[in-house]
Amino acid sequence: MADKLTVGTSPHIHGRELTSKVMWSVFLVLAPAGLAGVWIFGIPALKVILVSTLTCVVTEALIQKLTRKKIIIGDGSAALTGLLLAYNLSSSVPLWMPIIGGVFAMAICKHAFGGLGANIFNPALAARAFLLASWPKHMTEFINPALVHNGWVKLFSADTVTSATPLVMLKEGKVQSLAGLGLSYWDLFLGKRGGCIGEVCILALLIGAAYLLWKKYIWWQTPTGFILALGGLSWIFGQNGFFKGDFLFSILSGGLILGSFFMATDYVTSPLTRRGQLLFGISCGAIAFVIRRFGGYPEGVSYSILIMNAAVPLIDRYVRQKRYGVK
Amino acid sequence: MDVSKLMAIMISMVFINNFILSKFLGLCSFIGVSKETKPAVSMGLAVTFVTTMSSIITWLIYRYLLIPFNMTYLRTISFILVIASFVQLVEMVVRKASPGLYRVFGIYLPLITVNCAVLGVAVLNSETFFQNGHTIAGSFLMSAAQGFFAGIGYLLAMLLMSGIRERLELIDVPRSLKDVPLAFIIASLMSLAFMGFNGFSR
Amino acid sequence: MKSLIKEFTKGIAIENPTFGLVLGLCPTLAVSTSLINAIGMGVAATFVLLGSNIIISAVRRLIPAQIRIPCFIVIIATFVTINELMMKAFFPALNQALGIFVPLIVVNCIVLGRAEAFACKRPVLDSIFDALGMGVGFTLALCIIAAVREVLGAGTFLGFGLVKGFEPITVFILAPGALLTMGILIGIVNYWHIKLKTSKEITKAGCDGCK
Repeated sequence: MADKLTVGTSPHIHGRELTSKVMWSVFLVLAPAGLAGVWIFGIPALKVILVSTLTCVVTEALIQKLTRKKIIIGDGSAALTGLLLAYNLSSSVPLWMPIIGGVFAMAICKHAFGGLGANIFNPALAARAFLLASWPKHMTEFINPALVHNGWVKLFSADTVTSATPLVMLKEGKVQSLAGLGLSYWDLFLGKRGGCIGEVCILALLIGAAYLLWKKYIWWQTPTGFILALGGLSWIFGQNGFFKGDFLFSILSGGLILGSFFMATDYVTSPLTRRGQLLFGISCGAIAFVIRRFGGYPEGVSYSILIMNAAVPLIDRYVRQKRYGVK
Repeated sequence: MDVSKLMAIMISMVFINNFILSKFLGLCSFIGVSKETKPAVSMGLAVTFVTTMSSIITWLIYRYLLIPFNMTYLRTISFILVIASFVQLVEMVVRKASPGLYRVFGIYLPLITVNCAVLGVAVLNSETFFQNGHTIAGSFLMSAAQGFFAGIGYLLAMLLMSGIRERLELIDVPRSLKDVPLAFIIASLMSLAFMGFNGFSR
Repeated sequence: MKSLIKEFTKGIAIENPTFGLVLGLCPTLAVSTSLINAIGMGVAATFVLLGSNIIISAVRRLIPAQIRIPCFIVIIATFVTINELMMKAFFPALNQALGIFVPLIVVNCIVLGRAEAFACKRPVLDSIFDALGMGVGFTLALCIIAAVREVLGAGTFLGFGLVKGFEPITVFILAPGALLTMGILIGIVNYWHIKLKTSKEITKAGCDGCK
């Protein structure tokens, strides 16, 4: 009964689409990227994905049972968080890490705030930041895909030869250009590089994103602002001088596509208005650039989204739709 | 005193070593006054003003009084006295001179005397910009900048926090976490997000 | 005698400065990275609390009401300075670890709060027991937080390793972990208050109680 008397957060007006339908759609369109990740990094990646998703669903069910709320794990939001968390991890992490991350995401980032629709920070990203702060070594070790792909046998072996992501190598100054990495743009586009499970295969991510845009589940403002700001700034303030940065490399090499299309567009933790979303996207891009270029971490996409999550209530307050007829 | 040093101080005080989110200075008022945006911003402005001014004053005291007379052990007691009387003075002046300004941030001034951030930045200044009784070049400006940007960092954290807490006001959060505990958890996640700025170079 | 025991115990349990009144947060979170630091900070704060409570209570009839706060601050700052110099002389390592939070005891709301709320109204003996109770309560609270953080964040207890093969959750000795630990512990205290219907839930915090 008490549930029915509580007013939820805005927006109060909504279409006919159910939360569960949207959530499961996003879940499904993310599947190709995960399959690609498993293909590239082998069976360990599949294990991380399964453990993470399962942990999130079980944790949510347990919390809802303990707090005597209705158990609504069927809506897919917990599963989606788990999937996104796994996509942000390296395939070589020990399996207790997605478990701890999943529990943190669900218990602290989501249900401490009151559950679905109430959280301020993206649970998957906050959990990633938590894990990165705790076990930086595990979080920054990546399997070298070239080794995995010496044959099918390698797919099932627990090979632990590791490599750094292109961004790490760029940061450490080991290589100056893409050619120095022995990679082409096409390799980056298909995902033949070290990295997190879900971020590497740009092609699969873009197919999913196109579907979401076509169905109007997400809007173009956030991802466009994000990508153009990060890519543009990387181009203008290039490592080798003004207007000499590598636009494509900056977009394809990190977690930008995954972050901008699937995490920065999360309904709960992003602004309501289209103009607000554009501002949100551009700010994310700028912060991510600053972190990549000057910060201690090679990748800033996830941190930039988290930082801007904190500013969403303010953006919602100050960037409003104009009322009709009011100047 | 060049611009790059100033920039370094700004980035350090606002983002990396944010007084609240990574140094816990001024945490009491941060948790206490951040329930609504308006008072939170006023408090932030008042703190910024006081940290800047007290950085300047305590620098003068330290440089021209404590060091020449070899009395640096009186640092704590002299700093807190000077800050307390300065804040009191400003409050009186503002109340007389500008009732509007007084309503905006004057009422928060008395609270600030015992704000750790203010004394914290003064002590920090005296530790970073003086070495064994010698003044580092440009230390006056750097002290003032450190005080100012510490306040700006406080203001930024206050602004974000109050926005979030106002939004959560309408939400049915778990009862035992309502208000203070949840504020800590939000601050924790904000601090986690700000860790992204760690390790800045240049 | 009975009332003295009451003055002592209230600071430990129901009016615990950290988990009851939510005061003195800055040092609580900053120095609770290890149990040793927590004990050091607790003892230092107790010393200042005891000294200032005794003096303030002894001279309480001499202090004019209008300027009592500056007077309190001078007395407290004196003890903080004594404490600072002693720590520098006898425990340099601890002094290094606690850093600027040693001089910052002067703005710890607990000390000024006790001066204002208790010592300036009550006789010396009562004030001594009040200070001891508050000091012990503060130290205990610090130790609880520090124990959680040290065990989870460093995998040690008082510096001794606990479980082999446990990879510590480093974030707990960093800033986010401190805030998280504090939030969850206050949440647990509140849960307990709600369960027992004591109506003493923590709904506000900070120094506005002791200005």
